[in-house]
Amino acid sequence: MFLNQFLLLAAALFCMGVYGVLTRRNGVMVLMSVELILNAVNINLVAFGAFQDNIQGDVFAVFVIAVAAAEVGVGLAMVLLMYRNRRSIDFSEVDLLKG
Amino acid sequence: MIDLLAQATTAVEFDVAQNIAWAIIAAIMLFSAFKVVTTGNVVHAALYLVIVLAGAAALFILLGSDFVGATQILVYIGAIIVLFLFGIMLTKAQLGDDDSVQKERRSMGALVGVLLMVVMSFALVDTFGNEELVFGDPEPVEYVPTTVAVSELPTPVIEALGIVNLEGTITITQAQFDNLDPQVQRRVPGAEVFGNNKQIADAIFSQYIVPFEAVSVLLLAALIGAVVVARKE
Repeated sequence: MFLNQFLLLAAALFCMGVYGVLTRRNGVMVLMSVELILNAVNINLVAFGAFQDNIQGDVFAVFVIAVAAAEVGVGLAMVLLMYRNRRSIDFSEVDLLKG
Repeated sequence: MIDLLAQATTAVEFDVAQNIAWAIIAAIMLFSAFKVVTTGNVVHAALYLVIVLAGAAALFILLGSDFVGATQILVYIGAIIVLFLFGIMLTKAQLGDDDSVQKERRSMGALVGVLLMVVMSFALVDTFGNEELVFGDPEPVEYVPTTVAVSELPTPVIEALGIVNLEGTITITQAQFDNLDPQVQRRVPGAEVFGNNKQIADAIFSQYIVPFEAVSVLLLAALIGAVVVARKE
Protein backbone atom coordinates (compact mmCIF):
# COMPACT_ATOMS: atom_id res chain seq x y z
CA MET A 1 0.00 0.00 0.00
CA PHE A 2 1.11 3.54 -0.62
CA LEU A 3 1.41 6.02 2.22
CA ASN A 4 -0.53 8.50 0.09
CA GLN A 5 -3.62 6.29 0.04
CA PHE A 6 -4.08 7.04 3.71
CA LEU A 7 -2.93 10.65 3.62
CA LEU A 8 -5.27 11.58 0.76
CA LEU A 9 -8.22 9.83 2.41
CA ALA A 10 -7.48 11.74 5.61
CA ALA A 11 -7.19 14.98 3.63
CA ALA A 12 -10.62 14.37 2.08
CA LEU A 13 -12.15 13.72 5.50
CA PHE A 14 -10.46 16.86 6.84
CA CYS A 15 -11.91 18.99 4.04
CA MET A 16 -15.40 17.59 4.61
CA GLY A 17 -15.01 18.44 8.30
CA VAL A 18 -13.99 22.01 7.41
CA TYR A 19 -17.00 22.27 5.10
CA GLY A 20 -19.24 21.09 7.94
CA VAL A 21 -17.78 23.58 10.43
CA LEU A 22 -18.26 26.42 7.96
CA THR A 23 -21.80 25.61 6.83
CA ARG A 24 -23.56 24.08 9.83
CA ARG A 25 -25.44 26.36 12.21
CA ASN A 26 -26.54 23.72 14.70
CA GLY A 27 -23.97 23.64 17.55
CA VAL A 28 -24.02 19.85 17.90
CA MET A 29 -23.38 19.44 14.17
CA VAL A 30 -20.41 21.81 14.34
CA LEU A 31 -18.92 19.67 17.11
CA MET A 32 -19.48 16.54 14.98
CA SER A 33 -17.60 18.14 12.10
CA VAL A 34 -14.73 18.95 14.47
CA GLU A 35 -14.66 15.24 15.35
CA LEU A 36 -14.28 14.44 11.64
CA ILE A 37 -11.28 16.77 11.48
CA LEU A 38 -9.66 15.21 14.58
CA ASN A 39 -10.17 11.74 13.10
CA ALA A 40 -8.48 12.75 9.86
CA VAL A 41 -5.47 13.89 11.88
CA ASN A 42 -5.46 10.60 13.78
CA ILE A 43 -5.37 8.61 10.55
CA ASN A 44 -2.38 10.69 9.44
CA LEU A 45 -0.55 10.09 12.74
CA VAL A 46 -1.05 6.32 12.63
CA ALA A 47 -0.14 6.13 8.93
CA PHE A 48 3.12 8.01 9.52
CA GLY A 49 3.82 5.81 12.52
CA ALA A 50 3.44 2.70 10.34
CA PHE A 51 5.47 4.33 7.56
CA GLN A 52 8.45 5.11 9.77
CA ASP A 53 7.99 1.90 11.75
CA ASN A 54 8.00 3.62 15.12
CA ILE A 55 5.49 3.86 17.90
CA GLN A 56 5.27 7.64 18.39
CA GLY A 57 2.42 7.97 15.88
CA ASP A 58 0.27 5.52 17.82
CA VAL A 59 1.05 7.18 21.15
CA PHE A 60 0.09 10.61 19.86
CA ALA A 61 -3.09 9.21 18.30
CA VAL A 62 -4.10 7.89 21.72
CA PHE A 63 -3.43 11.31 23.23
CA VAL A 64 -5.50 12.98 20.51
CA ILE A 65 -8.39 10.62 21.25
CA ALA A 66 -8.23 11.55 24.95
CA VAL A 67 -8.15 15.29 24.20
CA ALA A 68 -11.04 14.89 21.73
CA ALA A 69 -13.11 13.24 24.46
CA ALA A 70 -12.42 16.16 26.80
CA GLU A 71 -13.24 18.64 24.05
CA VAL A 72 -16.60 17.05 23.28
CA GLY A 73 -17.52 16.96 26.96
CA VAL A 74 -16.87 20.67 27.50
CA GLY A 75 -18.26 21.64 24.08
CA LEU A 76 -21.58 19.87 24.61
CA ALA A 77 -21.85 21.36 28.10
CA MET A 78 -21.49 24.80 26.54
CA VAL A 79 -24.09 23.99 23.87
CA LEU A 80 -26.48 22.86 26.63
CA LEU A 81 -25.87 26.10 28.56
CA MET A 82 -26.54 28.10 25.42
CA TYR A 83 -29.76 26.19 24.81
CA ARG A 84 -30.90 26.82 28.36
CA ASN A 85 -30.24 30.55 28.12
CA ARG A 86 -31.50 31.24 24.60
CA ARG A 87 -33.73 28.28 23.65
CA SER A 88 -31.65 27.90 20.49
CA ILE A 89 -28.34 26.33 19.50
CA ASP A 90 -27.86 28.32 16.32
CA PHE A 91 -24.22 29.38 16.30
CA SER A 92 -24.89 32.19 13.82
CA GLU A 93 -27.02 33.94 16.47
CA VAL A 94 -24.10 34.17 18.86
CA ASP A 95 -22.57 37.47 17.81
CA LEU A 96 -22.07 39.33 21.09
CA LEU A 97 -18.37 39.80 20.36
CA LYS A 98 -18.95 40.85 16.77
CA GLY A 99 -17.46 44.28 16.14
CA MET B 1 18.72 -4.78 -17.52
CA ILE B 2 17.70 -7.95 -15.68
CA ASP B 3 18.60 -6.23 -12.41
CA LEU B 4 16.34 -3.34 -13.27
CA LEU B 5 13.52 -5.71 -14.17
CA ALA B 6 13.90 -7.62 -10.94
CA GLN B 7 13.90 -4.35 -9.02
CA ALA B 8 10.76 -3.21 -10.79
CA THR B 9 8.88 -6.44 -10.07
CA THR B 10 9.82 -6.44 -6.39
CA ALA B 11 9.03 -2.74 -5.98
CA VAL B 12 5.47 -3.10 -7.27
CA GLU B 13 4.47 -5.88 -4.96
CA PHE B 14 0.87 -5.21 -4.08
CA ASP B 15 -0.90 -6.97 -1.32
CA VAL B 16 -4.23 -7.31 -3.11
CA ALA B 17 -6.26 -8.18 -0.02
CA GLN B 18 -5.01 -5.13 1.87
CA ASN B 19 -5.75 -2.83 -1.04
CA ILE B 20 -9.25 -4.18 -1.53
CA ALA B 21 -9.92 -3.76 2.20
CA TRP B 22 -8.59 -0.22 2.03
CA ALA B 23 -10.75 0.63 -0.99
CA ILE B 24 -13.94 -0.66 0.62
CA ILE B 25 -13.26 1.12 3.91
CA ALA B 26 -12.31 4.35 2.13
CA ALA B 27 -15.45 4.35 -0.03
CA ILE B 28 -17.71 3.75 2.97
CA MET B 29 -15.92 6.42 5.03
CA LEU B 30 -16.09 9.07 2.30
CA PHE B 31 -19.77 8.43 1.65
CA SER B 32 -20.63 8.53 5.37
CA ALA B 33 -18.51 11.63 6.02
CA PHE B 34 -20.30 13.37 3.15
CA LYS B 35 -23.64 12.42 4.68
CA VAL B 36 -22.51 13.68 8.11
CA VAL B 37 -21.91 17.19 6.79
CA THR B 38 -24.88 17.35 4.39
CA THR B 39 -27.83 15.47 5.90
CA GLY B 40 -30.54 17.57 7.47
CA ASN B 41 -31.44 15.08 10.19
CA VAL B 42 -29.23 15.49 13.27
CA VAL B 43 -29.72 11.92 14.53
CA HIS B 44 -28.86 10.49 11.11
CA ALA B 45 -25.70 12.60 11.09
CA ALA B 46 -24.68 11.10 14.44
CA LEU B 47 -25.29 7.58 13.12
CA TYR B 48 -23.29 8.27 9.95
CA LEU B 49 -20.52 9.59 12.20
CA VAL B 50 -20.49 6.16 13.88
CA ILE B 51 -19.72 4.59 10.48
CA VAL B 52 -16.89 7.06 9.82
CA LEU B 53 -15.37 6.38 13.25
CA ALA B 54 -15.67 2.61 12.80
CA GLY B 55 -13.99 2.97 9.40
CA ALA B 56 -11.13 4.87 11.02
CA ALA B 57 -10.78 2.07 13.59
CA ALA B 58 -10.66 -0.46 10.73
CA LEU B 59 -7.93 1.60 9.05
CA PHE B 60 -5.90 1.61 12.28
CA ILE B 61 -6.15 -2.16 12.48
CA LEU B 62 -5.22 -2.40 8.79
CA LEU B 63 -2.12 -0.35 9.60
CA GLY B 64 -1.18 -2.75 12.37
CA SER B 65 -2.10 -0.50 15.30
CA ASP B 66 -4.61 -2.70 17.07
CA PHE B 67 -4.41 -0.77 20.34
CA VAL B 68 -5.36 2.55 18.74
CA GLY B 69 -8.17 0.82 16.85
CA ALA B 70 -9.57 -0.67 20.07
CA THR B 71 -9.26 2.69 21.86
CA GLN B 72 -11.04 4.37 18.95
CA ILE B 73 -13.97 1.97 19.22
CA LEU B 74 -14.17 2.19 23.02
CA VAL B 75 -13.79 5.95 23.39
CA TYR B 76 -15.38 7.29 20.22
CA ILE B 77 -18.15 4.86 19.40
CA GLY B 78 -18.71 3.88 23.02
CA ALA B 79 -18.59 7.25 24.73
CA ILE B 80 -18.44 10.27 22.45
CA ILE B 81 -21.33 9.22 20.21
CA VAL B 82 -23.48 8.64 23.30
CA LEU B 83 -22.59 12.16 24.45
CA PHE B 84 -23.63 13.50 21.05
CA LEU B 85 -26.94 11.65 21.17
CA PHE B 86 -27.59 13.08 24.64
CA GLY B 87 -26.73 16.53 23.31
CA ILE B 88 -29.21 16.05 20.47
CA MET B 89 -31.91 14.82 22.82
CA LEU B 90 -31.48 17.64 25.36
CA THR B 91 -31.57 20.41 22.77
CA LYS B 92 -34.07 21.06 20.06
CA ALA B 93 -32.81 22.22 16.71
CA GLN B 94 -35.35 24.77 15.54
CA LEU B 95 -33.60 26.44 12.70
CA GLY B 96 -35.72 28.62 10.48
CA ASP B 97 -33.93 28.02 7.20
CA ASP B 98 -33.13 31.30 5.56
CA ASP B 99 -32.48 29.90 2.10
CA SER B 100 -30.48 32.73 0.52
CA VAL B 101 -28.07 32.99 3.48
CA GLN B 102 -27.79 29.21 3.68
CA LYS B 103 -27.05 28.91 -0.04
CA GLU B 104 -24.30 31.51 0.11
CA ARG B 105 -22.82 29.80 3.16
CA ARG B 106 -22.86 26.43 1.39
CA SER B 107 -21.17 27.67 -1.74
CA MET B 108 -18.46 29.48 0.26
CA GLY B 109 -17.93 26.40 2.43
CA ALA B 110 -17.69 24.14 -0.62
CA LEU B 111 -15.23 26.55 -2.24
CA VAL B 112 -12.99 26.57 0.85
CA GLY B 113 -13.21 22.77 1.18
CA VAL B 114 -12.36 22.10 -2.46
CA LEU B 115 -9.51 24.61 -2.49
CA LEU B 116 -8.08 23.09 0.68
CA MET B 117 -8.36 19.61 -0.83
CA VAL B 118 -6.60 20.70 -4.04
CA VAL B 119 -3.74 22.34 -2.16
CA MET B 120 -3.31 19.45 0.27
CA SER B 121 -3.45 16.72 -2.36
CA PHE B 122 -0.94 18.58 -4.51
CA ALA B 123 1.42 18.90 -1.53
CA LEU B 124 0.95 15.25 -0.56
CA VAL B 125 1.44 13.84 -4.06
CA ASP B 126 4.43 16.09 -4.56
CA THR B 127 6.08 15.09 -1.29
CA PHE B 128 5.14 11.44 -0.79
CA GLY B 129 4.53 10.50 -4.44
CA ASN B 130 5.41 6.81 -4.42
CA GLU B 131 6.43 6.15 -0.84
CA GLU B 132 5.22 2.70 0.09
CA LEU B 133 4.16 1.36 3.43
CA VAL B 134 6.33 -1.66 4.12
CA PHE B 135 4.71 -4.20 6.39
CA GLY B 136 5.96 -7.54 7.50
CA ASP B 137 8.91 -6.18 9.44
CA PRO B 138 8.98 -8.84 12.13
CA GLU B 139 8.12 -7.54 15.57
CA PRO B 140 11.11 -7.67 17.88
CA VAL B 141 11.33 -10.90 19.88
CA GLU B 142 12.90 -10.98 23.34
CA TYR B 143 14.43 -14.22 24.52
CA VAL B 144 15.51 -15.46 27.91
CA PRO B 145 17.41 -18.75 27.58
CA THR B 146 15.39 -21.48 29.26
CA THR B 147 15.88 -25.19 29.66
CA VAL B 148 13.09 -27.33 28.21
CA ALA B 149 12.50 -30.96 27.37
CA VAL B 150 13.22 -31.61 23.70
CA SER B 151 9.93 -33.46 23.34
CA GLU B 152 8.08 -30.22 24.16
CA LEU B 153 9.71 -28.19 21.38
CA PRO B 154 7.53 -27.40 18.36
CA THR B 155 8.51 -29.27 15.19
CA PRO B 156 9.73 -26.19 13.23
CA VAL B 157 12.17 -25.36 16.04
CA ILE B 158 13.52 -28.92 16.13
CA GLU B 159 13.98 -28.90 12.35
CA ALA B 160 15.61 -25.46 12.33
CA LEU B 161 18.08 -26.42 15.04
CA GLY B 162 18.77 -29.81 13.45
CA ILE B 163 18.17 -31.74 16.66
CA VAL B 164 18.40 -35.50 16.14
CA ASN B 165 18.16 -36.84 19.68
CA LEU B 166 14.60 -36.30 20.90
CA GLU B 167 15.36 -37.38 24.50
CA GLY B 168 16.37 -35.28 27.49
CA THR B 169 16.44 -31.52 27.89
CA ILE B 170 18.06 -28.70 25.93
CA THR B 171 18.97 -25.07 26.56
CA ILE B 172 18.86 -23.00 23.40
CA THR B 173 21.56 -20.36 23.70
CA GLN B 174 21.12 -16.74 22.68
CA ALA B 175 23.48 -17.23 19.71
CA GLN B 176 21.47 -20.22 18.44
CA PHE B 177 18.28 -18.22 18.92
CA ASP B 178 19.59 -15.24 16.97
CA ASN B 179 20.38 -17.48 14.00
CA LEU B 180 16.80 -18.71 13.74
CA ASP B 181 14.27 -17.44 11.23
CA PRO B 182 11.98 -14.76 12.82
CA GLN B 183 8.93 -16.91 12.18
CA VAL B 184 10.53 -19.80 14.05
CA GLN B 185 11.96 -17.57 16.81
CA ARG B 186 8.57 -16.72 18.25
CA ARG B 187 7.74 -20.39 18.74
CA VAL B 188 10.76 -21.09 20.93
CA PRO B 189 9.76 -21.52 24.60
CA GLY B 190 10.95 -18.47 26.57
CA ALA B 191 10.61 -16.12 23.62
CA GLU B 192 8.29 -13.15 24.00
CA VAL B 193 7.01 -11.13 21.06
CA PHE B 194 7.52 -7.42 21.67
CA GLY B 195 4.29 -6.46 19.92
CA ASN B 196 2.51 -3.21 19.18
CA ASN B 197 0.61 -3.02 22.49
CA LYS B 198 3.72 -3.64 24.52
CA GLN B 199 5.62 -0.98 22.62
CA ILE B 200 2.84 1.57 23.22
CA ALA B 201 2.71 0.75 26.92
CA ASP B 202 6.48 1.03 27.09
CA ALA B 203 6.47 4.42 25.37
CA ILE B 204 3.58 5.89 27.39
CA PHE B 205 4.97 4.87 30.78
CA SER B 206 8.58 5.86 30.16
CA GLN B 207 9.23 8.41 27.43
CA TYR B 208 5.79 10.06 27.48
CA ILE B 209 4.97 9.78 31.19
CA VAL B 210 4.69 13.58 31.66
CA PRO B 211 2.27 14.12 28.73
CA PHE B 212 0.31 11.10 29.96
CA GLU B 213 -0.11 12.61 33.42
CA ALA B 214 -0.94 15.96 31.84
CA VAL B 215 -3.71 14.28 29.83
CA SER B 216 -5.17 12.76 32.99
CA VAL B 217 -5.21 16.21 34.66
CA LEU B 218 -6.78 17.64 31.49
CA LEU B 219 -9.53 15.00 31.57
CA LEU B 220 -10.22 15.81 35.24
CA ALA B 221 -10.36 19.52 34.44
CA ALA B 222 -12.71 18.87 31.53
CA LEU B 223 -14.94 16.73 33.76
CA ILE B 224 -15.19 19.41 36.45
CA GLY B 225 -15.55 22.15 33.83
CA ALA B 226 -18.39 20.35 32.05
CA VAL B 227 -20.25 19.82 35.35
CA VAL B 228 -19.79 23.46 36.39
CA VAL B 229 -20.87 24.82 33.01
CA ALA B 230 -23.90 22.58 32.52
CA ARG B 231 -25.35 22.46 36.05
CA LYS B 232 -28.47 24.40 36.96
CA GLU B 233 -27.95 27.50 39.09
